[in-house]
Amino acid sequence: MPYPKPSEAALPSSDHSRSLFPILFGICFAAAFVGSWQLAQIQPGLLFEAEGRRNMARFITGMFPPDLSLNFLRFLVVPFFETIQISVMGTVLAIAIGFPLSLLGTASLAHAGILNDLEIAGSPGRRLARTLPYVLARTVMSAFRCIPEFVWAFMFVRAVGLGPFPGVLAIGVSYGGMLGKVYSEILENLETQPSEALQATGASRWKILIYGMLPQALPQLVSYTLYRWECAVRASAILGFIGAGGLGQQIELSMRMFNFHEVVTLILILFLLVAAVDFLSARARKAIV
Amino acid sequence: MSEPVYRLEVLTKIFDGTLTAVNGVDLTVRPGEKVAVIGPSGAGKTTLFRLLNLTVRQTAGRLWIAGQEIGDLHGARLREMRRKIGTVYQQHNLVPRLRVTHNVLAGRLGTWSLPQALRSLVRPREEDLRAAHRALSQVGIPEKLWARTDELSGGQQQRVAIARVLLQNPEVILADEPVSSVDPTLAHGIVKLLVELCSTFHKTLVMNLHSVDLALAYFPRVIGFRDGQVAFDRSPDEISDDLLTDLYAGRLTSVSAEDSPDAVPETIRSGTPLLRPQ
Amino acid sequence: MTGQTAPATTILPLPPRSGVRPATLLVPAGILALILWSWHGTRFDLIGLLSADGRAQMLTYVQRLFPPDLSPDLLRKVAYWSLETFAISFMGTLLSVAVALALVFFASRNLVFTGVLFEVDEAGRPIRIARIGVYVVARALLNLLRTVPHIVWALIFVFAVGLGPFPGVLALGLHTGGVLGKLFAEVVEDIETQPLEALQAAGASRLQIFFYGVLPRVLPQFLAYSLYRWEVNIREAIILGYVGAGGLGQQIQIAISLFLENKLLTLILAIYLMVTMVDYSSAYLRRRLL
Repeated sequence: MPYPKPSEAALPSSDHSRSLFPILFGICFAAAFVGSWQLAQIQPGLLFEAEGRRNMARFITGMFPPDLSLNFLRFLVVPFFETIQISVMGTVLAIAIGFPLSLLGTASLAHAGILNDLEIAGSPGRRLARTLPYVLARTVMSAFRCIPEFVWAFMFVRAVGLGPFPGVLAIGVSYGGMLGKVYSEILENLETQPSEALQATGASRWKILIYGMLPQALPQLVSYTLYRWECAVRASAILGFIGAGGLGQQIELSMRMFNFHEVVTLILILFLLVAAVDFLSARARKAIV
Repeated sequence: MSEPVYRLEVLTKIFDGTLTAVNGVDLTVRPGEKVAVIGPSGAGKTTLFRLLNLTVRQTAGRLWIAGQEIGDLHGARLREMRRKIGTVYQQHNLVPRLRVTHNVLAGRLGTWSLPQALRSLVRPREEDLRAAHRALSQVGIPEKLWARTDELSGGQQQRVAIARVLLQNPEVILADEPVSSVDPTLAHGIVKLLVELCSTFHKTLVMNLHSVDLALAYFPRVIGFRDGQVAFDRSPDEISDDLLTDLYAGRLTSVSAEDSPDAVPETIRSGTPLLRPQ
Repeated sequence: MTGQTAPATTILPLPPRSGVRPATLLVPAGILALILWSWHGTRFDLIGLLSADGRAQMLTYVQRLFPPDLSPDLLRKVAYWSLETFAISFMGTLLSVAVALALVFFASRNLVFTGVLFEVDEAGRPIRIARIGVYVVARALLNLLRTVPHIVWALIFVFAVGLGPFPGVLALGLHTGGVLGKLFAEVVEDIETQPLEALQAAGASRLQIFFYGVLPRVLPQFLAYSLYRWEVNIREAIILGYVGAGGLGQQIQIAISLFLENKLLTLILAIYLMVTMVDYSSAYLRRRLL
């Protein structure tokens, strides 16, 4: 094919596909910005007012020197361990809740794809029997994870009293929903060919899951679970604020009594704890792969 | 057994209401037969195989396997039927992170109960290990019993897949382009292995092949498949060059299933080198 | 096919690492010990929870939640609080992005003192030390911002500027700014060096390399992380209400303390709707913009 003559050659034009999206997005963003500015009552000036500055100064001077007395530190041993324990039990509970839900909520296992094609084709009854648990599981997981753990914690404190137990339950339920959703996604994104081959040997879905899907998914499942454990440590510290034990509860107490030097110590300890957990988790994740 | 292993009557598979992959195929395969299926890419051969090994369900037409009609088969009966059909795929059909022994023993999943299957994953029984070892010996790699599957070469992995089928002990073996992703020098070895194993143990063999040479060399019955239909069904000496040209007419014959842009066109029925896999 | 039994004298290859090594037992045992210790320490009362009594209690409680309180007055207020919480999360996320962007380029090793852009470098020792100092300070600042829990920040700002949603915005902005800053810095430090090398070899100055080579590569990932973070922030914005920094969190506490279970259900439904909406929007935007 001969090249077009220079005068005939048209320059490729930039894509003027008249998409409305950028304009719509711009409008929505601007509206959200202006509306939010109002609703959130943003007044940067407040930060610089005399009163505000005085309070900040009081706070900052109150922080130093941090309370590093042996007495106080000894007192913190139990809350420190409690925070770890809450995060561990919370994660364990989350796995116990999330894993079964995720199996039900994986489309490729439940009702879609080649693992189900022959089984449900031609039988609306069987299709329903497979789709219903899937929808239920997805809804439950969604409810569990969209309601913040803080709200769960409040309800559980009302139900079982103060202390670390409601914190464990709150993290277990809300993280269970999160783990479930992510586990499902991991399982659904696996390569289907090994599963197809296993099915051709006459294996049931359970056996395909155990032999084909879980071995492949394991590194990702463990990796995400360890990441969630990291988050659980931070979450258990925060839940302590509403009475669920651990370091968070101590921070709340100290702040209420304006003992800022204690607050600093607590935050330092929290920092060390989170750093240690981050480190352990990263090492563990590297070992798994 | 006088019943044909496979009997297809106007078997049709249409995807999403628009794509007709298999178009009214009539076919009969008798026990012990060795059949090769050849044809251009996109002809529907793989879909045909997935119908034959009960992975997908036909849109229309009827299918009998070992005399039993596949109507509304589901659940345990469906799995029992699948167990009777062994499949070797082109690639990626083993579980990479498992050890070879587990992939081979997976052939028995159709007969094991769930607790048995779990137990084998943790600690295989002695007799199972021996069986796996024997199967691996038959395919030539007994020393790889405990290797991790993803450490094996492509050709070795195909042998593991064959060993798995041996353990499954089906009545018919389907092989869907088993050597298309394997080093060409090994392709003959693997096809020959499958044909001999099926002869020795009286299994029916149906193989989907990319290379016409291999089909004509090893199979007494060759089916040409094009546009979802049987173009011809003959023994090799009855197949002329013209017949083959028509079969592959208008298509780059040698573009593999993955449509590699680097594919070198192959001449039909010649001694020239086979297609290089990606 | 594999019918005959092989002679018993055939030696099978051994599995790798046969036998039990101490290390393979140590890890699972350690994990089990950790779990048991935590079970005990948190006074995890599974039996109590699942006992007939416990289940009856939970059932009664759940029954009391229904029906949700849908009186127009309450709905109006809930709508307002929801929008307020949304506003806190929205502005908070924007502020956090600003904070993160302000710090990230000083907190990325490969932009400040090491890597491809600095190999052929003639700066004297004091300048190099100053650069490392900048990096250290930026990183320390990010660490400080993210270690202090957002709720503590909220208390601090309530202390400084009074109650209301504004301290919530500031708290979210600073805390999340630290989190995002660290994530952003990791993105910057992970970019491929070859395009930068090419630009440098062509004679571009560091600033030009930054704009042409670094920025275009990292901005999409920044956007993705920011959108993810927005999903987290909508949840965190709710808890901030508890310390006086905005509506919904506080209302939850009131509803629970005053046994207003129907109102509680309404609030929970509102939260669920809002969180789901933000999740969807975030996923949608990530698909569309990236």
